[in-house]
Amino acid sequence: MTVRPNIPAWIEIARANIRWQYMYRFNVFMGIVLTGVTIYLLTIVWRAAYGAQTEVGGIALQQTLVYLTIANLQLYFLRPEVSGDIQARIREGQIGFDLSRPVGYPSQLIAGAAGDMIGALPMVVVSVPVAMIVGELQPPPSFGAGLAYVVSFLFAWIIAVQLNMVIGLVSFWTLEMTGFEMMYRLIGNFATGALVPFWFMPDALRAVVQLLPFQSIAFIPVSIYVGAPATGAVWSALAIQLFWAVALIGVIRWVWSKAFLHTVIQGG
Amino acid sequence: MERIAILGALASASIRSEFQYRANAITSILGGLLYQMTGFVTVWIIVARFNEIGGWSLGEITFLYGMRLTSHGIFYACFSQMFEADRVLLTGEYDRYLLRPFSPLLQLFTRKLRINCFGDLLGGTLLLSVASSRVDVDWSPAAVLFLLAAVVGGALVEGSVQITLGSLSFRFLQTTSVRTTVNEVFNLYGNYPFSIFPKLLEYLLTFALPVAFVAFLPSTLILNRRDSLHVSPVLAAIAPLVGGTLFLIALRIWRWQSRNYQSSGH
Repeated sequence: MTVRPNIPAWIEIARANIRWQYMYRFNVFMGIVLTGVTIYLLTIVWRAAYGAQTEVGGIALQQTLVYLTIANLQLYFLRPEVSGDIQARIREGQIGFDLSRPVGYPSQLIAGAAGDMIGALPMVVVSVPVAMIVGELQPPPSFGAGLAYVVSFLFAWIIAVQLNMVIGLVSFWTLEMTGFEMMYRLIGNFATGALVPFWFMPDALRAVVQLLPFQSIAFIPVSIYVGAPATGAVWSALAIQLFWAVALIGVIRWVWSKAFLHTVIQGG
Repeated sequence: MERIAILGALASASIRSEFQYRANAITSILGGLLYQMTGFVTVWIIVARFNEIGGWSLGEITFLYGMRLTSHGIFYACFSQMFEADRVLLTGEYDRYLLRPFSPLLQLFTRKLRINCFGDLLGGTLLLSVASSRVDVDWSPAAVLFLLAAVVGGALVEGSVQITLGSLSFRFLQTTSVRTTVNEVFNLYGNYPFSIFPKLLEYLLTFALPVAFVAFLPSTLILNRRDSLHVSPVLAAIAPLVGGTLFLIALRIWRWQSRNYQSSGH
């Protein structure tokens, strides 16, 4: 598979997805409410867990609270819907049109996900103040940490879209996959570190989640943000993300080359 | 009697149709179980690392979690179709329910089964049985009966909230996201001893949204943790009745709001 750039087509696909975001304003609003509700509970629970202690295992309460707030706030922007879109198109047989377009299918998906992300960005104006009220928001400890966080967040977005794409492409075989996707979401949600920072996990569990790509979505960027990077140094934390981004390109190419041959167009 | 027979026939049809796709059925059940387990593992890690939350031990929190999850499983098994109310009203599927000589609401409940509820039930009973030997409870027949009543009552509390919110669909049509958000509030906040919450939140989640009645209030009686109560222990003792009462009120509200139904045509 070679990618022939078709920038005008990509821009159009992205714009269609941006408009899509604004058709469901109320759902977007409820999504922010849910994020706020989650952040509020997590800060209450972790405050109660720390109790009178101000520091546990070298991590201050303040750091943990900022971590949980940022992690769940950014998770709101890192929920690509690529796999759901693929399934809907397959179910309704529209996948045939997608495949006959003169733009590679994976690149259509990426352009669409970019549109989703850009469409969601204005929500920063609403969700950041909400997070500030219900959670604990503080600037990163240094300018360097902030800059590294931005880079790491971009990687997080890329890897989130890639993982979601792999799951979506698997539905070329299974056609319906609600159960499987749910399992992925859950393990994914937990293994990102958004609910429990890896610092507090038992060693055996931490050893497992550190081998998975999901940590790139929350734990790596947010631990950089609060000044306690996953691996002890910013550069090696970013290197892990780079590794996964590249490895997943390979995985997607391989899965797509197989999936394409398996296409079933249902009805039309 | 005949009504119960019809209800049984509708329910068994929806169960059978779900098990037609056996592989998907099994992954859905496992997915449901896993979903709840990751939620529990989060709590478990925190309590294991910090020994307690709000003075509650791992055994006590596990018990509370198991109670709420079992209630949620029963709720989900019986009332999951409330989450589809929007679609049923919007597409005019409700017209068909009105034509048949049987309660439209019961037809909605038995429309389809979301089998991941079995995952919730499995996880809930598993946690309850593991925790029941680790907490200091004298399992007299009265205590067991109260636990059973409380678990059913908890399911009715969740059911009544969802039915009440669902009845708004007769007027506003798109209310699914409100209901899923409220459902998440129950799922998130119902698993913790209320003593860790700020005072205002404690009362809001008791009287504005009855989250406390699902599991926390009755669990304080079973676990002998009245010290964590923010309200009179009498409220904890009547929690199962509160579930039943709220449910009857919710059915009334549904019937009252259903007069606003406007068919979309077929």
